[in-house]
Amino acid sequence: MAVTKVVMPKLSDAMESGKIIKWLKKEGDQVKGGDILAEVETDKADVEMEAFGAGVLRKILVPAGETAAIGALIGVIAEPGDDIAALVASAPAGGAGAGSAAQKTPLRAEPAPTPPAGAASAAPQAPRPTPVTSAPTPSVPAARPVAAVAAPAAAPAGLGQGAQGGRVKASPLAKKIAAQAGVDLRLLHGSGPGGRIIRRDVEAAGSSPVAAAAASAVAVPAAVSGAEFEDLPLTQIRAAIARRMPLSKAPVPHFYVSSEVAMDRAWELREQLNALEGQPKISVNDFVIRACALALLKHPGVNASLQGDAIRVFHRAHIGVAVALDDGLITPVLRDCHAKPLAQIAVEARDLAERARNRKLRAPELSGATFSISNLGMFDVAEFSAIINPPEGAILAVGSVRRVPVVDETGLGVGRRMMLTISCDHRVMDGAMGARFLQDVKHLLEEPLRLLV
Amino acid sequence: MATHKFDVVVVGTGPGGYVSAIRCAQLGLSVATVEDDRPGGVCLNWGCIPTKALLRNAEVVNLMGHAADFGIKLTGFEASYPEAVQRSRRVADRMAKGVEFLFRKNKITLFPGRGTLKAKDVVEVKGTGGSETLEARAVILGTGSEPKSLPGVTIDEKTVISSNGAVRNERHPKSIAVIGAGAVGVEFADVFASYGVQVTILEALPRVVPVEDEDVSKELARTFTRRGITIRTGVKVASVKPGGAGVVVDLGGEKLEVEQVLMAVGRAAKVAGLGLEGLGVQLERGFVKVSPTMETSVKGIYAIGDMAGAPLLAHKAMAEGVVAAEAIAGKSPRPVDYGNVPSCTYCRPQIASVGSTEARAREAGREVSVGRFPFTANGKAVALGETEGFVKVIADKATGEILGAHIIGPEATEMIHEFAVGRTLEATLEEIIHTIHAHPTLSEAALEATLAALGQAIHM
Repeated sequence: MAVTKVVMPKLSDAMESGKIIKWLKKEGDQVKGGDILAEVETDKADVEMEAFGAGVLRKILVPAGETAAIGALIGVIAEPGDDIAALVASAPAGGAGAGSAAQKTPLRAEPAPTPPAGAASAAPQAPRPTPVTSAPTPSVPAARPVAAVAAPAAAPAGLGQGAQGGRVKASPLAKKIAAQAGVDLRLLHGSGPGGRIIRRDVEAAGSSPVAAAAASAVAVPAAVSGAEFEDLPLTQIRAAIARRMPLSKAPVPHFYVSSEVAMDRAWELREQLNALEGQPKISVNDFVIRACALALLKHPGVNASLQGDAIRVFHRAHIGVAVALDDGLITPVLRDCHAKPLAQIAVEARDLAERARNRKLRAPELSGATFSISNLGMFDVAEFSAIINPPEGAILAVGSVRRVPVVDETGLGVGRRMMLTISCDHRVMDGAMGARFLQDVKHLLEEPLRLLV
Repeated sequence: MATHKFDVVVVGTGPGGYVSAIRCAQLGLSVATVEDDRPGGVCLNWGCIPTKALLRNAEVVNLMGHAADFGIKLTGFEASYPEAVQRSRRVADRMAKGVEFLFRKNKITLFPGRGTLKAKDVVEVKGTGGSETLEARAVILGTGSEPKSLPGVTIDEKTVISSNGAVRNERHPKSIAVIGAGAVGVEFADVFASYGVQVTILEALPRVVPVEDEDVSKELARTFTRRGITIRTGVKVASVKPGGAGVVVDLGGEKLEVEQVLMAVGRAAKVAGLGLEGLGVQLERGFVKVSPTMETSVKGIYAIGDMAGAPLLAHKAMAEGVVAAEAIAGKSPRPVDYGNVPSCTYCRPQIASVGSTEARAREAGREVSVGRFPFTANGKAVALGETEGFVKVIADKATGEILGAHIIGPEATEMIHEFAVGRTLEATLEEIIHTIHAHPTLSEAALEATLAALGQAIHM
């Protein structure tokens, strides 16, 4: 019978705020855990927001079209008899974006004008029922305890004293794993009974670098400007790129290493593979992904990230694959590429790209890459260099496969060549490391049967 | 022939079937049950319950044998096996009547007879008084399982018996070979040995109770051997033929002559004659394939209990019965957590376990810490004079997650739930440690084993 706060969820690593595109439930609707409450536009994609509690959607605090900071209260789910006045009253002082939005929403739905001071501060996190003498409905004698589901670290100040230090409902095992993995339980939604955070919730969060992302989110002030800059409208995705790229290019000392790859054999192999009936079509980029995955395992120093005073070396190759959109680009993550055969990479990469274009990616698919690949081959680009997407340590830029004159032992001939350029974070690795990695990628692509075994 | 309409028809009234029927009724559905034996199924009538009555007799006989340990002088006593079996029948009858009472209380209609699916929503019941047709929105199948035999060996229930014969026969043999050292095998071995039968256990795998932790197998073998039960592990039975005192068991050259053989090599799902093939209900390795809400490959037909696959345990069947009933009633039940089903064997010393064995935890690549505590160091066990066995706890080294718990000893089957509840709540070793355990209790051994996993056992 708990009251569930609906807060703007953190749906990607870089997300700082989200815009409600539309509410799929309206006030008074019955909802249960897992129902889609609203569609949210984030910096990366349009994402469906799930309900984490059951009851009636009593209050919508941020209407469609408005933006709210992550963690900001945007709605309340409760039983019809629950007193949510104190909670709703606490909302207006929310985060930057949420404040104005919430104020536009009439708050008169609950007749309690100003709840008693004690109740106002205690209710949101009260560990036991707090008597409220001016309770609006006589049948409800007391404010009910509010489930402290996922009160986020970045919770806006208006939630009352102690909101950030409130009791988190989590299993002992979940607490222990979270402490060891550095996962902030307050950022998680519980999937156990009554919203209790259990092991699988923490493990799911642990697979994406929540801690690192949370740190950068705190360090970067909210730069979403919305209506004030109507003459320069930024889509969420463009805003994110504009904000994040200087954060990469300026503080991350890039260096570049290029290499030309003979693609004749890979081209031939690809044509043979694609002639097989019933097999997925394989692209040149799938070859590059597979080659990089294998090379990353061999060169973990390139599959690495600067984390404050340590270098985090990854033993799994989660590769971000840049996908161009009309208004920007997005980098969905193909997980565990080192463990996937070429055909599976082809199928999954195509699926991710298609859903990226249709804005149908799920939140976990947008974070956690350890390395990225950007391929502009389809635009007849000879070569280019890419900007690293922090906290990753490197990105590979892939040009077109071109037919060019080549000289070999027999004389002048025509060959297929492709330029690869890797951008590396010099704080994490040095030129020779990047060059050795690139050399291995080149060898794998030039002896492409190695990609199949 | 009449046609009756119900929301739900439950075929089979074993622990899975009767529980699902009652839960359906609680949720406001009209329910019919179909049963060709007495309500309660194998469990109440021919399995769990009567064998527990027999094992209680065995325990009393053993205790009488040790009367001198308690300063009680008996000038001989006579333990009547026929009366032990009669007592077990009375116990079973009482429990079966209990199910009939619960059916009446919940307004559940019982159709005696054999049920067959004629369509996905039509069950035909053939009873002694003719046939009836039942129509239902949903059908729950819980027809259970029956004993398996070895290839080429026929169970005649005279010289080669199954648990069905063992629980009914009022006469016990002078000697018996128990083939299969799983729960059924070792429980009957205990009963027969307590009544002076010469028992030989034959097991193809290298140890008795092979699904349990290896330490538990060792401890059971040790105590059984001390009680005069012969244990032969890693042996293959080549044939079972009439001869000698009754039966000759060929162990590949070596011959074993016994009066009876008890076949306890496992159970097979009862799926024949239900009409499953005609409706396209899919099977998997002889069991009915089900979804997490117990629905078969045919919408509206549910299967629970033994026929729906391992583990073949009554309490698993009950849990599945509740899930099926709630799914049919439109609720979204939490699926059965098959990794946390306690397993209990009621021989003496009792065996109970939940979760992984030490070997399986290590195979899964977990770094484990293991704690063990013997009942010899537990005050209550010493006072009872039941000091055989131990509690063993296996935990994840890094997090203290309770990966498994294994108890062999007095009342092990009652003690295991501390660990089962802990695992459901995702408790770690610390929560068990910080729970004060009353003194003196057998459960203190569970606390001490948990402490031992952290190297902190006090009484050892």
